[in-house]
Parts: sequence; structure tokens; C-alpha cells
Amino acid sequence: MILRRDVLQLSGMAAVSAALPAAAQNLATPDYRLEIAPFTLELSPRHRLKTVAYNGQVPGPLLRFKEGRPITIEVTNHNERAEVVHWHGLFTPVDADGSIEEGTAPIAPNATARYTFMPRPSGFRWYHTHTMAMGDLTRGQYGGQHGFLMIEARDEPGRYDQEFFLALHDWGGYMLASDDGSMNPSYNFATINGKIIGSGEPLRVKQGQRVLLHVLNSSPSEAHWISFAGHELRVIALDGNPAPSTQAVPMLRLAPAERVCALVVMNNPGVWILGEVRKHVQAAGMGVIVEYANQRGPPRWQQPTDLVWNYEQFAAAAPIAEPTEAPINIPLAFESKFQGHGSMETWMINGKSYPNTGTDSLRQGQRYRLQFINKSMDDHPVHLHRHSFELRSLGAPLKGASNSASKSVKIVRGIIKDVLLVDSQTQAEVEFTADNPGASLFHCHQQNHMDFGFMMLFQYA
Amino acid sequence: MPESAPASAVRWLVPLALVCISTLARAQGNYEIQVYGSQTVTPETLMVELHSNFTVEGQTATIDGVYPTNHQEHETVELTEGINDWSELGFYIFTSEQDGHGVQWVGDHIRPRVRVPDSWDWPVGVSLSTELGYQRAVYSPDTWTWEIRPIIDKAIGRWYLAVNPALERTWHGPDATEGVQFAPGVKISYDFTSVVSGGIEYYADYGPLGDFDSTHNQQQMVFAVTDLNVSPVWEINIGVGIGATAATDHLIVKCIFGRRFDWGRHSPVD
Repeated sequence: MILRRDVLQLSGMAAVSAALPAAAQNLATPDYRLEIAPFTLELSPRHRLKTVAYNGQVPGPLLRFKEGRPITIEVTNHNERAEVVHWHGLFTPVDADGSIEEGTAPIAPNATARYTFMPRPSGFRWYHTHTMAMGDLTRGQYGGQHGFLMIEARDEPGRYDQEFFLALHDWGGYMLASDDGSMNPSYNFATINGKIIGSGEPLRVKQGQRVLLHVLNSSPSEAHWISFAGHELRVIALDGNPAPSTQAVPMLRLAPAERVCALVVMNNPGVWILGEVRKHVQAAGMGVIVEYANQRGPPRWQQPTDLVWNYEQFAAAAPIAEPTEAPINIPLAFESKFQGHGSMETWMINGKSYPNTGTDSLRQGQRYRLQFINKSMDDHPVHLHRHSFELRSLGAPLKGASNSASKSVKIVRGIIKDVLLVDSQTQAEVEFTADNPGASLFHCHQQNHMDFGFMMLFQYA
Repeated sequence: MPESAPASAVRWLVPLALVCISTLARAQGNYEIQVYGSQTVTPETLMVELHSNFTVEGQTATIDGVYPTNHQEHETVELTEGINDWSELGFYIFTSEQDGHGVQWVGDHIRPRVRVPDSWDWPVGVSLSTELGYQRAVYSPDTWTWEIRPIIDKAIGRWYLAVNPALERTWHGPDATEGVQFAPGVKISYDFTSVVSGGIEYYADYGPLGDFDSTHNQQQMVFAVTDLNVSPVWEINIGVGIGATAATDHLIVKCIFGRRFDWGRHSPVD
């Protein structure tokens, strides 16, 4: 891959490519153009918020790619700070992945960069800024730089009549001024596709349709539970990868950066709310109205009484053969270090904070088992760049954990993801094959955890 | 005050002692010695605190029918119920134990408090409490008092600062004509670990606004304190205080044990 950002700054053109000759890249018309620029987001007629967005919209434009066909995206940065765009869940080369830590060059203010790569794997992915926010709760993932990315499989059967892309996001982050309020941010607003409930266009459907929902949690730090009043959600994919067992569920739970694809049969005419299950979050705005054709009236909501979700229900029902070669175990212990009741904690993997976490060397073609040992009091949505992993075990209580009585280990197979929420005081295990050479960032997707040390790099030997 | 003192000295000291006692009564200092933080108790939660204060070295004479503070053991029960995310209601039962007097009920106070909601995203925590109550005349010549207490606090890294510039008013008693008194409290502490914090608390009563008492007659007390954050359920504060002026008790040991009782049926979907 060639990065020609310097040329770009002079000429207004640049090329980054993993697959095409340099000359061809420069001549090619990009498949998509993204403009990063300050933007005033209207959450509702009464609430406006200054942020940074792609192409003057939140979420950014939906990028649709065909599996197996190389694509080029041109990104221009009109923001006052250097930016970088991460293609989340894709098996990209290092210098196109959008992680400065791995080696992707940042895009300077008023510069343009081109990324050309073969989009894979197929499924529901997304793109977002991968910059640090630190104490500024308007930057990085706290802002509006996120968008949907769909890689259509060659054999996509099209089992739906209509599809909607929904991004869950929290805005207006703040830290409490006293006590332990500095540990994690709280938020003033919660939205779906940048709108407070009732402020955006409703999702318009027809009776009898099979609607496919692609739900993304782009929140900087909050998990969300989503229910569709009057309807059942059949989960067919997790993080864009087909679920081994599809399941009808009363609600979805999405940790930051997770995606869920769910089919809904529109068999209950009326006007309904699809929204956050927790009352205070829906009251902060997270919901959208779903309107059947020729139906009017106030939207109806059916309040669930509990939060229900687990990964293991989507695991393969039939046994899956074990790989012939045993994986190499890599234990990763997550801990925090107290910095005072008025500061965010720093985060450590195996006792060290980034950039001192070092680089673990992988051997290409080798299968590895990552053992996530979450000793902290927070849940962590951990993400591995440029690879997917298979869930192997979940919820094993740590020795002496206060919640161990209510936890038991679940052995699962077949669920492929790129983000896993590791519960506090538990151990979870995933496996992956080192098949995409180059530095690969591993981190917690909660922005404040990532900013304060919860990152490390895997490097291929 | 020794009975053998010259009459002129008695004439000078008795009014001074009365000033001291009335000042202490206004501050309610020896019953609840605490610099408030801005946070309120969460809804459907009852905070039960026991304030134990022992005056190691205080006023030794009975003056104008008011018991001496020396070697008084004050036990105050404070019950605080969270109303909503930004308000609470507190209730105090003051008692005193002393040789020759046994355990005595001293009085009761009621204290509503509101705070700036978190969603306002103020850079500091701010709340406002008001306290109205009665105390028996043998413990305080001012029997009905009222206080309004702004509370500002801020945690910065390992440091914590709280300021309580309280204003007090006597409704019934010798000081009823003296107007509003200024009685600030300040706390600064440092988190040595996630569990142990240590710092200084300062309590004062400067006298009437616009006409402060002389330094000699002001009440000023400095406590060395530690807060033990052993659990979100428990609150523990221990301190030793020294009176910096003649009008203040000279040495007090204080201790606050608090426990939160969550009585609500909290739903995970709230």
C-alpha cells in the first residue's frame, strides 16, 4: 500500500492502495468521497449540538460495497485536527485500517487521502474516527463521526422486503463534578440516527413486510438495550456475521461498537416505538417511531420489565470439529489503576498501560486463544482490529469475585465477532487465526478506557 | 469559671462566656460536625448516620443555666431520605451525655436540600440546604434556629475541596436580635488510596454579617480528618479538632458512621 498524503496536500489528490498500481489509483474515480467537517446536528427542533461529521450528516453516508471488488474511498479532512477513519470489522491492510497506532498515517487538516482495498468479509460493518478524546467529551467517538458500511455477499439471498440502518448514540457527555462521578461519563441525550425520539422521520413499513434491521451501537461508552414494541426481533447476524442459531428475542443488547442484524415480520399494524428499554435512556431520546401504512395515532410502547440478553443463545446447536492444531493461549488481564476520585482511572492490560503494553508477536497461520480476564469493576467491549474471532467461553467467574454465585461458564462455538463485551469479574475466551499480517490493535471500545491506556498491539513475527 | 475570681474579671468573663455559648449553639457545631458535599442521597435510599462527638476540653462552667460543654458526649442520629435525583430531606435527633446529667435529648432539626442536577453539567457540584430546628435551653439559649447552607464542591484528581458558606439566624433566644450570622465550613482532602483519604476541615462562626465579632470572640476550629471509603454503602469520617480562639471548645474528637439502606424495588429498566 502506498500513502501519498504529501502529494495530496499539494495537488488536492492522493492515493492509498493495497491492490492497485499507483498510477491506476490516481486516475480512478473514488467509489465514495467522505468530507470530515464541523457540523451542527439538530437532535430535535429544540436541541442542537455542534460536532464533527462525515458529509454533513449523522450518521455518515451508507457505504455499500460488493464483496470481492476493490474499492476506493477518498477522505478529505476539513477539521482543525488530524483525523483518521477506521473501517471497523474489515480485514484491511495496516496502512488503510485507520489506526495510527498500527501505522495508518493520519490525515492532516485540509489534506485528502485515498484508501483502496478489497472489502472483506461480507456483512454489516461500520466506519468511524479512531482519534483520542481524552478529557474532551466532544471529540473522538463522542462526536458524530460514524457511519454504516455494508459489504454485500456475492450470494446474498435478499430475504427481506425492506431494510433500515439504525445507529444508537449518546451525546452531551459530562462527568459528575463530585464524588466518584469522574469514573465514566454520563450523557444528556441519546438518539437513533442522530434524532431524539419523535424528531426524525418515522420508519414507514407495510403490513406483511419482512424488515431487516441493521442496528449499530456507535456510543462512546454505553451499552444499549433495544426493543420493538408489539414485535419480535429475530437475530440473524452478530457484528455482521451470520449467527449459527437464529433466535427470536424480546430485545437486543449492543455494547459499544457491536452490531446486530434482526429480521422483523410486520404483522401488528399500528404506530409503534422501537427504542431503548431503560426508561431513563428512552426519556433522553433513544427511540424511533415505526409507522405502518395507513395507520395513525400516538405511538405505542410496551415496557419490558427486565433486561434480557446473552450471547450463548446464538451458538451453534450441533458440535463443531475442533481444529487439529491446539491454539496458543494468550492471557490478557484487565485492571484499572485509581487516580483519585476526581480523575478517570488508567487502564492496564497485564499490568501495563498503552503505550507501555508492548507488542505481542504472532506467527502467521497460527491459531490463538485470547483469554480475557476482566479483574475490573467495569464491563469491557473489547475489539480486535483487522481480524474476526470465534467466541469459545463466556462468563467464567474469577476467583473471589463478589458476583461469582450468579455466574457460570458457558462453552460456545460458532459465533464470529469482532467485539465482545466481557463482563466484570469474569473470564471469556475467543480464538482467531493470525491470517492478516501486520500490526493489529486490540483495545476496549469504550472511548475513555481506550484513551487512558486500554490498548495493545499484536505484531506478526 | 472560678468562683474566687475578682468581681471585675467575673463581670468581663460572664458576657464573654455567654457569647461563646451562643455562638456554639448557632453553629450546632458540637452535635453535627461535618462539611457537606454537594451530592444528595439517591431516591428510595435512607442514609442513617451517627455523629459521635466528644469534647475533650471545653467550657467548664454552667452559665446562665446552660450546661458546660466540657466532657460532653454528643450522639446525633441523622436520617436522610433521597426524594429524587436532586433533592433529599434530613432529620436530626440530638442527644447529650454528661456526668451528672445522664443521657438527655437536646433537640431536633429538619433539613431539606436541593442540588444542581448532574445534567446541567456545571463544573462544580452545587447544592443548597436549609435547616430549621429546636434545641432545649439548657443546651442552647437560642432555642429555635434556622440555617441556609450553600454547598460547593469539586474533586480534581486526588484532591477534593468543599466550601459551605452557611448563614444562620436565631428565631427565639438571646441572639434573635443579632440578625444573620456567617458560619462557613471548608474541607480539603487528598485521596491517598481509593479507600483512604485524609485532610483538613475548618469550621467557623464569625458573627453577624456586616458586624463580625472580634477574632477573640469568633468560633474557629480546625480538624484533622480521615475519610474511609470502604464501600459505597458505608460512610466513615474520623477527626480531631482544635479550637483556635478563646470562644471555641479547645479539643473535640468526632466520628461519623453512616450507612445507606436501599429500600426501593429498583427495576433494571428504570
